[in-house]
Order: sequence, then C-alpha cells, then structure tokens
Amino acid sequence: MVVFSFLDWFWLVVFIVLMVFCGVLFYRLGKRSLSDFFLAGRGLPWWLPAASVYATHSATDTPIWISGVIYQHGLRGIWYTFFSAWCAISAFASTKIFRRSLAYTQAEWQNLRYSGMGAELLRGWIAGWQVFMNMFVLGWVGIAMGKLCNYLFGWHEWIGLILFSSLCAIYVLSAGYWGVIMADFQQGVIAFSVIVLVSIWGIVAAGGPQGITAKLESLSKTWRLNPFAFTGFASGEFPFVWFLTMLVIAVIGGFGMGTSIDWYPEAQRIQSAKTVRDASYSIWAGSALIVVRNSLWAVAILAFFTLYPQIQSTAEYEMAWYRLGFEFLPVGLVGFFFAAIVAIHLSTISTHLNLGASYATRDLYNHYFRPKASEKELVWAGRISTLILLIGSFFYGMMMQEITEWLIFAIWIMTAGIWLPSILQVIWWRFNAWGYLSSWIANLGLSWLVVWILPEFNIIPEMPDHIKFWIMMISGALIYIPITFLTKPENMDRLVKYYVMSRPLGWWKPVREEAIKRGLIDPKTLMLKEDKANELD
Amino acid sequence: MSWIKKHWTPEEADNWTKEDYISFVLSPLIYILIAIGVAFSLLLRWYGWVILGISVILLVIMLKIIDPKLKAVSEDYEEKQKQYLEDLEKITRWEE
Repeated sequence: MVVFSFLDWFWLVVFIVLMVFCGVLFYRLGKRSLSDFFLAGRGLPWWLPAASVYATHSATDTPIWISGVIYQHGLRGIWYTFFSAWCAISAFASTKIFRRSLAYTQAEWQNLRYSGMGAELLRGWIAGWQVFMNMFVLGWVGIAMGKLCNYLFGWHEWIGLILFSSLCAIYVLSAGYWGVIMADFQQGVIAFSVIVLVSIWGIVAAGGPQGITAKLESLSKTWRLNPFAFTGFASGEFPFVWFLTMLVIAVIGGFGMGTSIDWYPEAQRIQSAKTVRDASYSIWAGSALIVVRNSLWAVAILAFFTLYPQIQSTAEYEMAWYRLGFEFLPVGLVGFFFAAIVAIHLSTISTHLNLGASYATRDLYNHYFRPKASEKELVWAGRISTLILLIGSFFYGMMMQEITEWLIFAIWIMTAGIWLPSILQVIWWRFNAWGYLSSWIANLGLSWLVVWILPEFNIIPEMPDHIKFWIMMISGALIYIPITFLTKPENMDRLVKYYVMSRPLGWWKPVREEAIKRGLIDPKTLMLKEDKANELD
Repeated sequence: MSWIKKHWTPEEADNWTKEDYISFVLSPLIYILIAIGVAFSLLLRWYGWVILGISVILLVIMLKIIDPKLKAVSEDYEEKQKQYLEDLEKITRWEE
C-alpha cells in the first residue's frame, strides 16, 4: 500500500483534469465528419501520430510484461520486446502502400485489394475480429490498471478498471480521434519524461552502473549484462534460433499488413498523417521511441534485480518497475509518477476505444447496414460503438486473471498462422481472398491445438515458442496455399486499379503487364502515364 | 553519395528502387543499434556511446537516401488524393 501526501493528490488531479480537458477541447473538430472522428481529417504532421504510436504502445501492462522478461533473462530479454521493430521496414514498405490506398481501416483495404464475395467476407471478418480484439485489449489493459490500484491503494480490482477507462471515454466520446491524438501527445511527453526519471532513479538507488555491475559479479550473474548471452544454437532457455525467429518475425513482418497486432492501431495513424512521407516518419519515429523506452526499462529492471535478486514469484517480480517508482521516489513525486501511469493508461485505452469503434462504424454499420448514412449519423454511430466497447471491456477485464498468459495467447493467435499470409497479400498478386480467409480460420484452430489442446493431452510435447511458431506457419501454409491455387485469381480489373493506385512491391508481373497493355503504365520506365491516370475508372 | 539519386519526378519515385532497398537494410539495423546502444550507455560503457553514435550516423545517411524520394511521392500524391478518395467510396461500396 502507498500513502499519498497532499502534493501527490494534487499532481494526480491536475494531470487528470488536463488530460481529459485537452481531449474534450477538440469536440468541434471531431464531430465534423467521419474522417475527422476517426482520422482527424487525414491532415496530421508526422510528429503527432508518432507520439500517439509511442503513447498507445506504452500501456499499464507493458512495464509489467517487460519487467517479467528482463528479471528472468537479463539484458537479452530486450529481444522479447523487439517485436515493435516490424515498423523499421514497414515505415518504408507497407506503410507507404497502405497510405496510398486511403482505406479507413485494414478491413476496408481488403475490399480494395480483393474483389467479390471473398473480399466482402474478409472485410466483415476482420472488422468483427477487430471489434472483439479491441474490446479484449481494453479489458486486458484495464484490468492491469485494476491490479495496480489494488496493489497501491488496496482498492478492489474493478474500481481501477472502471474508473480510469470511464474518464478516458469522456474525451473519446466527445472528440473522437482528434481527442485521442491530442491527449496522446501530451500523455506521451509526460510518460516518457517519467519513464526516464524513474529508471534513472532506480539505477542510482542500486548504486549506479558500477554498483549494478559489481552486484551482478558478486552474484555470478554477469551474463545478465550481455544482450547476446545465448544458451546454445538450439538448446537452453535462450537459444540462437529463438533470437533469429524473433528477428525474422519482427523485421520481415514489416513487408506485410497485419503481421503484428500493433499493425491495426498503426494503420489508423498512417491514414491520419497528412502525406505519405508523414505517415512513414510517424511510424518509424514512434517505434524508435518504443525501442529507446524498452532499453531504459531493461536497465532499470536490471537495477531492481540487483536490489531484490531472490524473488521467485512471477507476479511479484513483474511489478519491478512500479516498485522502483513507488519505493524510491520521494514524497510528492509519487503522485507525479502515478499521474504518468494514468497518462500511459489513458493513451492506450483511448486508442482502442476509437479504433474498435472505427471498425464497428465504418466497416459494419456504414458498409453493411447504412451505406447512405449522413456524416452526422455516422459520427453518432461512432460514439455509440465507443460506449458499447467500453462496457464490453469491463466484462472482459473481470474475466482475465493472468496478464502475461493472455498477452502471449493474444500474440500467438494474431501472429503465427497469419504472419506469412499477411505478407503474401501485399507482395504476391496471385494470393486471393479465399487464401487469406482460410489462413485466418486455420490459424484460430491451429493456435488452440498447438499451443493449448495437444500439449494438454500429451499428444505433442511442450515445445519452445519459436518451434511452435514455425510449426504453425508451415501447417497453416499447407491449408491456405492449396486453397489459393484451387480458387480463381482476383478480378484483373480490381488488381490493375489497386496496382496503379498503391504501387505494391514484390511479385506483380502479370498485373503490371496488364496495366502496360491497357496503356496505364509506360513499358520502358514502368511509370504511370499522366494522361491515362484519369482513365482508371 | 553521387550514386544516390537526389532529384525525383513523382512518376520515377513511384517505382521501387535501390534507395528503398537500402532503407530496408539500414532501418532495422538502426533499431538494433539503438536498443543495444541505449542500454550500454545507461550502464556507462564506452562502447554504448559508440554504438549510439553509429546509429545516429546511419539514421542521417538513411534519411539522406530516402527523404528526396518520399517527398516526391508525397507531393504528387496529395494532388491526386481527392480524386482517389471519391474512387475509394465507389470501389468499396457494398451494393457494387
């Protein structure tokens, strides 16, 4: 339990009022149109979505999860957090392609890339999945806040879950994405400053860099200072093949769309940037900040390890970074620290409330039920969807107990089986809607089987994560590749239109040749013919 | 860096070229160097600062290579965006 002084409460109340007010201030802009409510009118300079990328992916559960892996693995645990590196390539590959498509959401992009019934099924599937997934993330991040408030103040978990998500909903409901992005900017600045402050404070409390090194030497744990402390090529708890798998997933994943659960919020930020260039830089810079943040946290957790090296309970050492702040900061700064935690929390909650609502409104309500709805009606549909997501997240939150377990499951279910198809749909013209749809369905079944069911009944042994990844990727491919070849290629008119508009990279030769044949692209330079550009329709 | 093209027409910039491929290599490398460099710098290891320095140099090089191309794509695309947004509504409409 932590006892707050007057100054601590002062910081907290001032910050909450500032954050909520800052969001609500943009009410008039948010209600102008659907594009404003969900994309801030597609006119943001790169640094605003960049701050939002950073703020969104710094959630209350993030230091819990990072504390867990660093306490267990030392500095090599950095690579567990390296999945955000998919943005390194994406910024100059899939981000560029997606921004040029102008799709509001990833679900809508399916409608541009594919055609016919397959495209419609995919759009509905991804939209429905994203509504569920955002509600799920809201519940999982919300309950992390509930747990933290329980640890700090002894509150029942539901109080922290409901109180802070509801505060956040005030500005998301009123100003939509304008509120999200503006609040995210100041929350990102507050959060980053406090992460630096607490981490350095923790390092100093452990005796500084020399003290940390000396303590690790005395414990014979100097391997914890080595980010490349492999336990063998394929053996031990940190084999080289695991590291390689992680790098491949993160880095090559940047060529695709949807290879990471983070793609979906990033897709919204990409479309809200005012130009292709702004979109690229926002994704790159936001993720670079995340990489810096992870390293700051890693060294701070290493400091915590030297202070408390004997903790066995996962639940206890997962609170390492929070403990550094609450146990070592002086009175007055503790409230500042908690206000920053609230900032971290609200930035994630606001994004997922607005993002889930965008899929419910644009891809479900507007697309399937009310195609001729006015802008005013759609903004209201966005608000009602936001409210439904908020209430749903309370139920999900109360159902989740073990945060890390849920996080790992969510990553599996979203990554392994659809990782390669999510790349193929961007780089290979022949990959069709039926192939992609089947990969999703196969992935749901295979995730349950390989990760949960088969090991539970001892049909297959417990395997390391990287082996499970490759098994799921290959077994999934055995389903969706035959389905792709057994079904027709996408309609060539649609492919040509998509190719000329988005200029994807990879294997698009037949489509390019068709575009040349139709006189849309110059056969020698492969450049779009200006005089033919208007004939696309 | 005379082998790197500095002036692009929007149409030229539409194609995937060596400038893009160089960015694909440099960009993740910079992230890796930042991750290690920040950690070692906080631990006050001299090589941490060297690694961070290299990552900054590579970042400047990458931006010099890719920025002129991104600028050309963006400027041209902004002009066409309004028309494309109207097309988007037509292409993705449910009744189609």
